[in-house]
Amino acid sequence: MLAIETKQLSKSFWKNKVVDNIDLQVEKGEILGFLGRNGAGKSTFINMLTGIIQPSSGSYALLGVQGPNDSIKKKIGVMPDYSSLYGSMTAINHLHYLADVSGKPVSRQHCMEVLKLVGLEEHANKKAGKFSFGMKKKLAIAQAIIHDPQLIFLDEPTSGLDAESVIHIHLLIQQLHQQGKTIFMTSHNLDEVEKICSRIAIMKDGRIKKSGTMDELRAYYQSTITVTIKHSPIRPADLSTMQQWLEQAGTQLDIKENHFTIQVESEQKIAEIIRALGTYKIDIYRVDVEEPSLEEIFLEE
Amino acid sequence: MLAICKREFIQSFKGIKSIIIIAIFLLTAYYSADFSDLLLSLSDDFTSEEKQIIHTVGISFLIMFLGMLFVMGLSHDIVNREMHERTIRFLVTRTSRTSIIVGKFLGIALFWFVCLLTSFVIISIFVHRFDLITLFQSASLAIYYSAFTVLLSVLIPKPSITMFLSIVIGIAFPILNGWVSLTSNVWVSWLKYLFPFYYVEEQNYSFLVVLLLAGVMVGIALLVFRRREC
Repeated sequence: MLAIETKQLSKSFWKNKVVDNIDLQVEKGEILGFLGRNGAGKSTFINMLTGIIQPSSGSYALLGVQGPNDSIKKKIGVMPDYSSLYGSMTAINHLHYLADVSGKPVSRQHCMEVLKLVGLEEHANKKAGKFSFGMKKKLAIAQAIIHDPQLIFLDEPTSGLDAESVIHIHLLIQQLHQQGKTIFMTSHNLDEVEKICSRIAIMKDGRIKKSGTMDELRAYYQSTITVTIKHSPIRPADLSTMQQWLEQAGTQLDIKENHFTIQVESEQKIAEIIRALGTYKIDIYRVDVEEPSLEEIFLEE
Repeated sequence: MLAICKREFIQSFKGIKSIIIIAIFLLTAYYSADFSDLLLSLSDDFTSEEKQIIHTVGISFLIMFLGMLFVMGLSHDIVNREMHERTIRFLVTRTSRTSIIVGKFLGIALFWFVCLLTSFVIISIFVHRFDLITLFQSASLAIYYSAFTVLLSVLIPKPSITMFLSIVIGIAFPILNGWVSLTSNVWVSWLKYLFPFYYVEEQNYSFLVVLLLAGVMVGIALLVFRRREC
C-alpha cells in the first residue's frame, strides 16, 4: 500500500503557482528525502498533505485514505517547518497535551521515553520558552512521534542543530524506519539526505524534476562521471594519437605528465579507456572514479 | 476537543488578569448578598419579582455591563495567538478544525460558568436561596460573549488588534446594546434581536435564544476557520 499518493496536486497564492501539478508516490516504509532550494515549494507541499493549508487543485491520499480527512490525523506525525512551542508549558506537558489532542493519550512514562529518544530527558520539566533553538527542534520532533504515527513528516529536522544532535536525530530516523514507519523529510543538507533516505525527490519551481533512489539519480546524471587515471610515461610518438582517441571517448580532458582526467558518459567507457591504454603498452597505477554527488545533481537541477 | 477545552479552562485561571476578575466577581457576590437588605430598605418601588432577585443584582449588573470587557480582556487572543505563533499547526495536524474551535469556546465558556456558579453559591449561602434562572441568564450572557470573542479572534489574525478591540468593544457593547433595546428608531431597534439583553429582561426561558445566537457565532467562526490557512 502507498503511504502517500498525490495526483496533480497544486497550490497557488494569488496568481503565483507555488506547487505545480505534483504526482508523487511514496511506498510504505520508505524514507523519502525532499530536496529543493528555498522557495521551491517543499514546505507548501508538506503543508497541503498535513492539512495546514488546502490544495488549490488535485488530490492526495495518505495511507490509502483520500485527503483531507480528519480520521487520518491520528496516524500521521508532523514536525512543521517553523516550530514555535507553547512557551509556558514544560517539555513533558507538551507531549502529554499534544498526544491528548491527537486522541491517543499517553502515560508520562511514555513521554519520558520519547524525550529520552530525542535527548531531552534532562529537560523534561523545563519550560519550552527557556529552550535553545536546538532543544526546540528536538521537542518538535518528539511531539511528531509521541502518538506512535505510521507516517511522519519532518520539515528540515536537523537544520540549526549541532553535529552531535544531528547524528542523534539521524539514528532516531533510522530507528523509526526500522520500526516500519514511513518518513517524508525535507532537508537542505544534501549529505544527510544521501545518507539516510531510501529515495529522493528533487523539487524546483514547484515541480518535481526527478525522483528515485540515489543510484537511479546517479544513473540518470551519469554523464558527469569523472575518471582520473595515473599511468606510466607515454611514448612521445603515441601522445597525439592517444590524445585524439581520448577526446573522442569523453569530455573535459586534462592530460598531465603521469596522469589524466576525463569525464565520461558511462562505466563502459572507463573499461574502453583502460583497454586502449593497454594497447599502447601503458601501465595503469591507479584509477579514481568520481560519481556525481547529490550536491552536483542538485546544483545541476 | 476535550484536551483543548481542558487546557483553555485551566489557562483561563492563570495570570493576574484572571485573579483580579475572579476576585471582583467573588467580592461582588459577597457584597451583593450582604447589602441586598439595605438596598431593599432604600425603596418601596421594587416589585415582588425584583425583591426575589435583589441579592443577585450586583452579579447581574457586572455580567451585563462589564462581562464583555472581562471575557474579551481575558480571551481576545484565544485563536489568533496560536496562529500568530504558529502553535496552531500542532493542533490542525492532529485534530479537526471543528474540535479546535469548539474546544476553545467550551473552555472559556466553562470558565465563566464556574465563576458565575461560585458567585451564586456564595450568594445562596447568605440568602438561603438559589436563583437558577438568574444564573442561567447570566451564564447565557457569558456564553454569548465567549462566542463573540472566539469569532473575533478567528476573523482578526493579529492579537494586538483584538487586544485594542477588546477594550473598545468591551466598553461600547453594553452602551450600544442598551441603546438598541431602548430606542424607538425603527431603523435600528430591530438590532435588539441580535443583542442579548432583550432576551434576559424577563425572568423566563427566553435566554435560550441567547445561546442560539452564540451557536450561530461559533458556526460562523467555524466556517471561517475551516478556510483559514495556518
